[in-house]
Amino acid sequence: MTDHKTLLWIFLIAAVLIAVIFIAVYRSSLQAAEDSPGLENPKRKRFFFFALLFALLVILLAVTLPKSPYYMHADETPAEVVYVRAEQYSFNLSRTEELSYDDMELPAGKVIEFRVRSKDVNHGFGVYNDKYELVTQTQAMPGYVNRLRWVFDEPGTYHILCLEYCGMSHHIMSSSFTVN
Amino acid sequence: MENRSLKKVTSVWIITILVLFLASITLGIIMRFNQGTQLHLKPNTFYATLTTHGVTMIGIWAAAGLVAINYLLSRYVKTSAGLSIFALVFTVIGVVMLWMSTFAGNFHAAWTFLYPLPLAPYAAWKAWATNLFLWSLVVFGVGWLVWSVGMMAQILRNYSITEIFAWQHLTGKEPEKKTPPFILISSVSLIGIILCLLAAVVLLVFFFMEMYTTGVKNDALLMKNLTYFFGHTLANEALYLGLAAVYELMPEVGGRKKFGTTWYVALGWNCTMVFVLTAFFHHMYMDFVQPGGFQIVGQLASYFASLPAAAVTAFSVATLVYRNRIKWSFTNLLFFIGIIGWLIGGVGAVIDSTISNNIILHNTLWVPAHFHTYNAMGNVLLCLGFFWWAAHDFSGTRDTFRSHWPTLTLLLIGGFGFVLMFYLGGASSVPRRYAVYPEGIANGAPLATAAAWFAVVYLVGMLMVFLTIIRRCTKAFSPAS
Ligand code: HEM
Ligand SMILES: [Cu+2]
Repeated sequence: MTDHKTLLWIFLIAAVLIAVIFIAVYRSSLQAAEDSPGLENPKRKRFFFFALLFALLVILLAVTLPKSPYYMHADETPAEVVYVRAEQYSFNLSRTEELSYDDMELPAGKVIEFRVRSKDVNHGFGVYNDKYELVTQTQAMPGYVNRLRWVFDEPGTYHILCLEYCGMSHHIMSSSFTVN
Repeated sequence: MENRSLKKVTSVWIITILVLFLASITLGIIMRFNQGTQLHLKPNTFYATLTTHGVTMIGIWAAAGLVAINYLLSRYVKTSAGLSIFALVFTVIGVVMLWMSTFAGNFHAAWTFLYPLPLAPYAAWKAWATNLFLWSLVVFGVGWLVWSVGMMAQILRNYSITEIFAWQHLTGKEPEKKTPPFILISSVSLIGIILCLLAAVVLLVFFFMEMYTTGVKNDALLMKNLTYFFGHTLANEALYLGLAAVYELMPEVGGRKKFGTTWYVALGWNCTMVFVLTAFFHHMYMDFVQPGGFQIVGQLASYFASLPAAAVTAFSVATLVYRNRIKWSFTNLLFFIGIIGWLIGGVGAVIDSTISNNIILHNTLWVPAHFHTYNAMGNVLLCLGFFWWAAHDFSGTRDTFRSHWPTLTLLLIGGFGFVLMFYLGGASSVPRRYAVYPEGIANGAPLATAAAWFAVVYLVGMLMVFLTIIRRCTKAFSPAS
């Protein structure tokens, strides 16, 4: 998985690059002579510019699509199944379809399947590690069950925050579980 | 005479939009200070503010694009001021209804009012507020649908279907009748707007059926798809309207030859027209029950909707300026910076529209980060460029640029500083739409405070632009003009 910091750097570098190029273009205009011909050979340059961007996107697609969460551990049997029920404004984690009020402990390094449902409105099942970095998520939608498979490599306390706006106490809707 | 009334209604539109803009920025600043814990709103007040800010902003900047193309369209086809007046009246009524539903009725289901939240039995708002909110959307929708269909009909009187999409250019040979890029982009965007407004009609009818009849229960996944087909498409097409104004005005204001339509411009915009309609699937990546094919289409369409329009526009604007002695005015600087902001926001969007990234970015502050970049530092500046140009056009005053660097500096520092705090928030996993951040989300509050101050700087810059535009616009009414 690519992490947040990598994505931030990719973004910042691309943003600065765009800004620098356009500032250079702007300055070239200020310094241009009255009869300056502008960009030479624009058709050729245009072709290379478009081809380059197109190739870049195709490569990105080829690299990223197979990493989509729908295919993660798809052909494995989960070691544990956790039933998650979200409602305004709490989460319930259970090993059966019935509600449970016991603390949830899960094994590290094994495939866990979360079956996420909602009793009322849309919620988001956002899983954060103990440093409060978002590690994975799925939505909780009324009438549907979203199955999220995940392997937790790091033991520790994981926090669940609601990641779909669900009303006035959305920001205090949370829960947690332990991985050991 | 007709032209004079078009100028008048355009001036009233511009002033209305800017007043609502300043008010909505203020709401945004209040939200950021609340998240930074300098202010302590009740959560439901915070979320009502969020809802008001979101709908108003999306509404006024979509309207701004329509105002711009309505005015510029009069250069190519016969347009009427009547349509624009009609839409203005509906928009103002809609805004009053909306603000009443949120501030008097405390409706706070966010701008996407995702089903079934507006109908939730334990909602903290009054039932009449839900009604008023949804009916305010009906009022907006009717106003804009009539307006957009009207403009499309006016275009079709002078251009055939083939010509509005510039298909005759795709052969590569010089066609007999050329399609100006402005007509092409306006048509592509109007079609998109009409389609997404129709989706909104279906969505609202589904809501009303459940509200006013018994026994009807909607499907949450279908409703979410409809919501985002409407919301995502509207927000994107609004941007393309701003670009239409840039294609039309930037070379002209710069004293250069007008842009022409070539085969690649035609192809680029046709691809964008098609792909943008399925890109909304990227809002459902984290709904694993959505058919898998749609998810893949979502990523493909997100990539290939942004590529052609962005690449063609970036290249056209860069070649217009590069080593060319163009006349720089405030209008052109706003266009130029707006294009940069739009492209940077686009990078943020492409990163988020990649499914394997979305799993750690979805509904974090990365989302408002990218769309505020291409709105507040993109489309807003493009539309403002048009407003500025129009204000000078109306009043017959000259538009110079040297004295405007202080204003631009405020907008640049304030605007990019403000959105950077959102990106840093997203990269620190800070959730979006949180009135207050939980203790563990340590970066949330300090970033919010910094963002609020940057936004204040942006607001001051905006106020300076606003005062000049208002002064010029009111001249369109003076008897001498
Ligand atoms: C400097 C000016 C602006 C400020 C200070 C501002 C501030 C904010 C804030 C604080 C949020 C909530 C973020 C969160 O989820 O925690 C927000 C959301 C939003 N803003 Fe802005 N914004 C500004 C400009 C704009 C513009 C120009 C648009 C144009 C379309 C816009 C559209 C939206 C939308 C659609 C939302 C989402 C509302 C929702 O979640 O329901 N904003 N803004
Ligand atoms: Cu929730």
